[in-house]
Amino acid sequence: MASRKPSLQALTAAALALPGLASAQTDYQADYLYSQYREGELPAARAASGERSDRYEIDTHMIRVAGERDEQSLTATVLYETMSGASPWWVQPGTDGRPVQVMSGASIREERVDLDATVTTPVRGAEVGASLGYSHENDYEAVNGGIEAEFTPETGQQTYSLGLGYSYDRIKPTVGASSTDVIDEADRDSLTLYGGSTWVLNTRTLIQGALSFSLQDGYLSDPYKRAFLTEVASTVRDSRPENRRQWSVSTRFRHFVPAVGGAVHVDYRFFRDDWRIEAHTLALAWHQVVGDDLRISPSLRWYSQSQAYFYAPFYSSLRADGLASSDYRLSPYGALSFRLDVRKIIDAWILGGGLEWYEASGDYAIGSVKVENPGLVDYLNVTVRLGYRF
Amino acid sequence: MHRAHRLGGPCAIHVYANDARLAAQALQAADAELLRIEACYSRYRADSIISRINASAGDGRGVVVDDETAALLDYADAAYRESEGRFDITSGVLRRAWDFREARVPSAEALAALLPLVGWSRVAWRRPRLSLPQVGMQLDFGGFGKEYAVDRIAALLRAQGIVSGLVDLAGDLCILGPHPDGRPWQVGLQHPRQRGAIATLSMAAGAVASSGDYERGFVLDGRRYCHILDPRTGWPVQGLAGVSVVADQCLIAGTAATSAMLMGAEAGPQWLVGLGLPHLCITADLQTRTAPAGLFHPVSAAP
Repeated sequence: MASRKPSLQALTAAALALPGLASAQTDYQADYLYSQYREGELPAARAASGERSDRYEIDTHMIRVAGERDEQSLTATVLYETMSGASPWWVQPGTDGRPVQVMSGASIREERVDLDATVTTPVRGAEVGASLGYSHENDYEAVNGGIEAEFTPETGQQTYSLGLGYSYDRIKPTVGASSTDVIDEADRDSLTLYGGSTWVLNTRTLIQGALSFSLQDGYLSDPYKRAFLTEVASTVRDSRPENRRQWSVSTRFRHFVPAVGGAVHVDYRFFRDDWRIEAHTLALAWHQVVGDDLRISPSLRWYSQSQAYFYAPFYSSLRADGLASSDYRLSPYGALSFRLDVRKIIDAWILGGGLEWYEASGDYAIGSVKVENPGLVDYLNVTVRLGYRF
Repeated sequence: MHRAHRLGGPCAIHVYANDARLAAQALQAADAELLRIEACYSRYRADSIISRINASAGDGRGVVVDDETAALLDYADAAYRESEGRFDITSGVLRRAWDFREARVPSAEALAALLPLVGWSRVAWRRPRLSLPQVGMQLDFGGFGKEYAVDRIAALLRAQGIVSGLVDLAGDLCILGPHPDGRPWQVGLQHPRQRGAIATLSMAAGAVASSGDYERGFVLDGRRYCHILDPRTGWPVQGLAGVSVVADQCLIAGTAATSAMLMGAEAGPQWLVGLGLPHLCITADLQTRTAPAGLFHPVSAAP
């Protein structure tokens, strides 16, 4: 019985010190990914206008180039996205007193460009990665950076990882699309710290556990959303606390079943924050290998969250603390999604595609949701991937 | 296409090159390299570096070795540590007690007398000087010399611009690159109890090496005694019939396969998982344990 985890790096370092064997091992891969995200229309019964309404759609093109040489790697990603359609503006009581959604009429086409680069290199037995990213929209700009280390102690069976991420976001709401009482310009800082461990239980099973903490400070409201006050029959701007602390615990279980040549993945995540949202995510996936080079992966994901303490579909009057938000993402709800991914390798080419169907509903939440937000979303996401290794 | 026999086993080198002259030159260089490694590290040749080291056993001054030998000794040291003392280049002396041709099991006394001569930790290795502290101790590069030769020849052929081909020394092989049309090579892994392969795998790059109880050994009174000897007990390994490992270097694949054989049916596969190397382990009752999924394709048993 081996009492500690052996190190491939120690063997590799010794092997590459042999004359002639250190010829650099290089490996490159380029990927193109297209994703089409389409939200289902808002039904007439949930719309303040009494008419069904189209919602948001996003088309994403992504190119990623990754290279590995010896123990070092570099990954660079360019992403271009176009977004268009109507999105939820505020919620008000309908004729029967039940909440109905008012949609923003705007159907402007927005664009987002995202650049990202990550390098990894071994440092004293640990694998250390650093990343830098930049994101640009016409009303939004963000820079982010992160550092991550993964190491396997000489005397342990586990692998540990530790990471720190920072992001600075600045928003300058588009005049016209937002309202006059909303900020001209605002920013926020986000800091995330996470750590995890992987245990290899046997040749077929592994378990991962991770903890994450994140701190956001600054403007966390949505300048394009409003909240409705029934007493004055008028709306106020979306207003959320200026900081947010989030914690999460996640576990992953992977087990390979040799008899059928497939692997089961079970992931669970618990999340809570100081806005008093508690959320559970449970994901089940099966990865089936067929023949040499085909992989088919169906998966099912369930999600449930409780509401933020200041959330309401609408308010009678302004809260004493001045906070107000009717964003469905802060409401109590649950969601189910089903995904099917297929990947095929043909020589140096990797062809892949996926289909995801997602539906949010009060019915899927833990406990009963008394008043469901009318803006809950359902969507269909189709992805196509083409990769080439050289 | 070129075939030759070297290092006590069938050797095959396949290369594709646009220019026939370039291919011929590359193969000549490969042949020369094989002969050079054999001359340096064969314990059967009195003029080899290994024979010179072994002849110095008991002489406290030891021997100063060249850079290549020093790097191999450093590698053997790393393999000894990572395998927790299973992979040990001093264990060859146990063959004095084990006669696999005569199919004779040695007496406990005969083995006990040899065990004090085994143990890499007893060797004084201070680059560039090595000394074997006791008369009778010996080094044997047989446990990794062939795999090293595979890597060296592969590197040499690559340096000559060969990007399509493979180097195969008795089943331990390194892929230079896929067939010119991009198809991967289909590599068969020896069945431990019958002719032919127990599994195949498609490889376009990397190396694979195997170790097994079928290579040399004998069966006496229903028990199999193979040539892979545990340096701690002096007895042949049990539990696994064969191990194949995939790695970037054939040297590492071979060391890992032999070490896993020495660790046995439970700890061997676990250790390979810890290393993160794809592998196929065959237990004594011919059950296979593989990781990752779908890499090795079982060959259905002959009727």
